[in-house]
Amino acid sequence: MKHFISYILFLSAVSTAFSQTDSITVLEEVLVIPTKLEEFSTGQTLTSLSDSLLLQNKPSLISALNFNSPIYFKENGLGMVASPSFRGTNASQTAVLWNGVNINSRFNGQTDFNTVNTGSYDEITIRGGGGSVIYGTGAIGGTVHLKNEIDFKDEFSNRIYLGYGSFNTYDKRYQLTASRKNWSTKISYSRTNSDNDFNYIDSDQKNINGEFYNTSLNAVLGYRFNPKSTIKFYSEVFESERHFSLIRPSENKTKYEDVSLKNLLEWELSDKKITSITRIAFLKEEYKYFPNINKDSYTFGEANTLIGKYDFTYHFSEKVKLNTILSHEYTDGKGSSIPQNERNISSGTLLLKHLVNKKLAYEVAARKELTNDYESPLLFTFGAVYSFTDFYKLKLNVSKNFRIPTYNDLYWATGGNPDLAAEEAMQYELGNEFKFNNFKLTFTGYYNNIQQMINWVPGSDGYWTPKNIDEVKTYGGEFLLNFKKQFGAHHLAANATYAYTVSENQAKKKQLIYVPYHKATGSMYYGFKDFFIETQALYNGKVFTRSDNNSRYNLDAYWLWNTGVGYHLNQQFTFGGKLRNLLNADYQNVESRRMPGTNYTIYLTLNL
Amino acid sequence: MKFTKFIVGAFLGSILLSSCSDDDDFTSEIDEPLGAYDNGILVLNEGGIGTVTYISDDLQTSQQSIYQLVNDGDDIGGYAQSIFFDDDLAYIISNGSNLITVVNRYTFEIVGKVDSGLEVPRYGVVYNGKAYVTNQGDTLDGGVDDFLTIINLETLEVEQTIHMGAQGEALEFIEEEDGKLYIQKSTYNLGEKITVFNPTTNEIENTIVTNILVERDPETGEIIKQLGLNSFEIENNAIYTLSGNKLEKFNLNTLALESTITFAYEGDVANIDIEDDQIYFTVANSVYMMSMNAEEAPAEPLFTYNTTSQWGTMYGFEVEDNRIYVAEGGDFVSDSFVEIYDLEGNLLKNITVGVGPNGFYFND
Repeated sequence: MKHFISYILFLSAVSTAFSQTDSITVLEEVLVIPTKLEEFSTGQTLTSLSDSLLLQNKPSLISALNFNSPIYFKENGLGMVASPSFRGTNASQTAVLWNGVNINSRFNGQTDFNTVNTGSYDEITIRGGGGSVIYGTGAIGGTVHLKNEIDFKDEFSNRIYLGYGSFNTYDKRYQLTASRKNWSTKISYSRTNSDNDFNYIDSDQKNINGEFYNTSLNAVLGYRFNPKSTIKFYSEVFESERHFSLIRPSENKTKYEDVSLKNLLEWELSDKKITSITRIAFLKEEYKYFPNINKDSYTFGEANTLIGKYDFTYHFSEKVKLNTILSHEYTDGKGSSIPQNERNISSGTLLLKHLVNKKLAYEVAARKELTNDYESPLLFTFGAVYSFTDFYKLKLNVSKNFRIPTYNDLYWATGGNPDLAAEEAMQYELGNEFKFNNFKLTFTGYYNNIQQMINWVPGSDGYWTPKNIDEVKTYGGEFLLNFKKQFGAHHLAANATYAYTVSENQAKKKQLIYVPYHKATGSMYYGFKDFFIETQALYNGKVFTRSDNNSRYNLDAYWLWNTGVGYHLNQQFTFGGKLRNLLNADYQNVESRRMPGTNYTIYLTLNL
Repeated sequence: MKFTKFIVGAFLGSILLSSCSDDDDFTSEIDEPLGAYDNGILVLNEGGIGTVTYISDDLQTSQQSIYQLVNDGDDIGGYAQSIFFDDDLAYIISNGSNLITVVNRYTFEIVGKVDSGLEVPRYGVVYNGKAYVTNQGDTLDGGVDDFLTIINLETLEVEQTIHMGAQGEALEFIEEEDGKLYIQKSTYNLGEKITVFNPTTNEIENTIVTNILVERDPETGEIIKQLGLNSFEIENNAIYTLSGNKLEKFNLNTLALESTITFAYEGDVANIDIEDDQIYFTVANSVYMMSMNAEEAPAEPLFTYNTTSQWGTMYGFEVEDNRIYVAEGGDFVSDSFVEIYDLEGNLLKNITVGVGPNGFYFND
């Protein structure tokens, strides 16, 4: 064990970047059926985390992705508000999609990565780079896809996962799968709760008022009328309450409550020539913020969104297909500072995919939105991939993406600005993919020019108001390395990511705050017969906390190391444990927000 | 999404006189510094985490984060709001952390903290050995639960809490004059009252109602702008207020309105400060000056300062000893600056301070 760790430490010393990632995927390959996500990502790179990998991480989305992706996360204290910076973009420029539906908040345009419980999903895919043509607003830095999968085959199974860890943290997940040839059901329940009262390192203070819980219930029902006609219904209820931890004991204790409801009905008809998918989605989001938990007063926001989408693909041949998507979205939202407002957005999208030959494939696509609420640009994408040899592929993608003004931006009283336009981003990326033996190495360089970025600035009348004022250029490189090998009873897998990110405000010519130049992750998995051991590492480079990049206020770079072991007792039982922050690093991810030292989780999985 | 509007505290000048010695003295007595931060200007920076910048009297040297520096990295809390003084002690109010940090005003060494009984504290004043501090409590209730805390300065404990809020009457600035406390019941220019509080009996004795400007849509009658009391100052037995679009003068004894001057500037008037019989105030990034006897508002500003961003303007303002101090709020995520002008409006110095500077205090 000691040996193993020092070996890892040695590796990291040699090259800052390398050490690990999605270990367990090697063991349980997910059956790959090309989805729209895969089909229309020509020239881009996808990284998937399987449900078995998700079980190795804490249930929050930030925990699952932080150690396994080049996305940088800003977390306002453990378990608190967490936002991504994907390729140097801001928190509202990463779109999160739930079974294809954009679920970023209608109020602030963001998804809080600590209010997504990954226990409900079968797979999470990360797609770097622009995706607004298909995925809509906010798909500028990249997209994160939460997916539920169902199969039509004879199956009846139950999976129970029980975890317990430091700071009185419980993690319970249950999944029931029941299916036959023509129907399928999957029900998932997950709940996590924690006192989150860790002691600060080298201090007699502890984390005060950090307790939280969240519960997620997710169901997918499918019925196959015949091989050409399938209907699926996805539904999820999520509820959480978080107290926001204090920096000092004298501060007011605050809390935040969140409820969300997501529903999607999908009816697919297909034959050799056509695929027709009709979707109706209903989303509800609701939050309440209590600035003092001892009082009843709170601020709130509540939005209902109804989406209708018709998606029609015509296959001219096996090699050429044309896809049209028409959609309409209606949102009705209000909040304590937002008068009730309805919003209608219609959009039309056209996509063409052409497999020219075995070596070359390309796609072109365009989208236009119609709405009265803001100006919206014509979006497009062009992607191509060329396989020079069996082991080398070159990928190219150019796209124009956007982020629409949110309810807060448009309607906040007082300060909301009804004259805002959408943010526009022009992106170029070039990817190289090498495959040899058990290795896969992807190197992607990108350049993203984001204009008329919406930023809230103090107005002369004392109110903050949003304006399309900022221009940011981001560029950098992403390295992804995967390795897997099986010999006899030995399984070995290693993954590493490294991101170099420059994200520069054009007015100030300064790096954006909370965007590190360097981030690296690594993971290594070794399994022998029924035993396995894994190690994860994360390096976050220094970040600026001041817009003038004054280095006096920088947050230092830090390393985090985790290691876990597990044992498959038999077909049904697996138990294991994990130690996090092995080196007891005293680090801050956000200024003044202390994070925990070494902590543990133990767990038991039952497959019945 | 409002940001804390700084309302000038002009009460300091008078308190501070005691520590000065005249330099025209025959014996050429030297003003011995009482600590590293004597003979200079203290700039309070709101933060994030609040900091204090020291600027020497000759404006030649400055030092950032002096509290953190002297006290081993301890800090004064989030969103520093204001400072009040009592002899050698400075009481630094953090409204984000419900905290008052007590330091020696000349050395900045910590003396103690008031860390309970406060909720969004704003401004304070010392009278008769006790500190009176306004608190906004629940900031979502429009002022309903606002209260005054009375702090025992020996124990640094809150010994009494007096509720005096009401809808539209959030507590802000407090000033002491002749044994009475004058409390501004208006934050973000939303109110129109000044309460006169007797600290001997702990009774509210009177209320002054100032001008409030209400603009309505001529078609619908809907209120499109409402602008009340911004700031006040007590001088020569009168209370001068900037409220709505008016300067009003109330007799301190009778509380009767004695005179009014109406403004017609493009922007809203703010930050009243009276010094050497001149009334100073600001409109956006301009400073205006008029005589106390003037019957009309000045047409032209004394000077207009350049802002790096046009938004965080005049976050702090003070006139003291023949100098005019303006603070630029900046972008609130990086160190900003202050500028010091002479009374003719000539720039003497631009000095970098901390994040969101909102007030000037003087160690003469």
